[in-house]
Amino acid sequence: MKINNAPKLTLFHCLNSFEETNSMFDGCTIKTVKMACSSMTKDIHLLKAFESGADAVLVLVCQEKDCRYAEGSIRAKKRVDYVKTILDDIGMDGRRLNIFNTTAKDSGPIKDIIKTTISELETIGPNPALNHFN
Amino acid sequence: MITASQKPINEIIELVEPYKKLLILGCGTCVKTCFAGGEDEVAVLASVLRLSFKKMARPIEIEELTIERQCENEFIQEASPGIARNDAILSLACGAGVQAMAKRFAKEVVLPGLNTTFIGIQESHGVFTEECSGCGDCSLATFGGICPVTRCAKKLLNGPCGGSQKGFCEIDPDTQCAWHLIIERLTTLKQQDNLKTYIPPKNWNTSLSGGPRKLIREDHII
Repeated sequence: MKINNAPKLTLFHCLNSFEETNSMFDGCTIKTVKMACSSMTKDIHLLKAFESGADAVLVLVCQEKDCRYAEGSIRAKKRVDYVKTILDDIGMDGRRLNIFNTTAKDSGPIKDIIKTTISELETIGPNPALNHFN
Repeated sequence: MITASQKPINEIIELVEPYKKLLILGCGTCVKTCFAGGEDEVAVLASVLRLSFKKMARPIEIEELTIERQCENEFIQEASPGIARNDAILSLACGAGVQAMAKRFAKEVVLPGLNTTFIGIQESHGVFTEECSGCGDCSLATFGGICPVTRCAKKLLNGPCGGSQKGFCEIDPDTQCAWHLIIERLTTLKQQDNLKTYIPPKNWNTSLSGGPRKLIREDHII
């Protein structure tokens, strides 16, 4: 199914992995959720983002060796992987949830990540639970 | 603690499908500790079920509640109003909790959301190991605090089988040989003489093999 309107993205990010600039968000609606450390990524928050209508959820975390709190990026990745399997199990397609190691100093790759996500949503389709929300 | 893990989500969906109003009831003691049935797991399961049912365009109302223990009447009482508002209860407790709920609310549908696994401990964060079979006749004093009935794959009571390799079990190389641990521990405690004591065949009448058990404390009964 094709997305008629601009796709909705929710972007969770560690303070040090992403710096918000409006120019990044062309072609989609993005809700950003800032975290003190990516170790605050929790399964329930990722799922709630989908319940709130996100077509895709991105989690931006520091490089594993650069995490100020040592294990934040590793913990975040494990939780994202767990939720991806849940999404696959219920037919929501785990590909609509992804985690990337980024740095706030270099926004180039982040722009590409958002562009790629929007283009992948053309194949994956909109949030299948979206149309039935009360 | 009693450990458990969540049933596969598709099995849960199949169980709750006939109901329009569902109470997901967590248990805040053992299964919370093993990340299967506490507040967090209730919230995640509720979210997953809402997404799943909305995807199927099937209406469902889900209420979330976690009580301290589902295996005790005093705590169960707290769930009464929530139970009255819903068509079914999806219990995230061990088998004892599910049955206690079913006994207390005889006319309500109580469904199990977990598979109860074993009595164990948290070996390290996220790793749980089986330590006790609840055999009803504890011999841990003889074995230096390490149970061969539970932790030896062959349940040997009179020494190792000879198949262990570098301290690990020949049945499962990821499991430490219980007898290797027993000998090391008795050596540390200077109780090696325990190893010379012949242990007769175990009387399993006190275990589940003798049928469902009942514990009666006369001094607490009026």
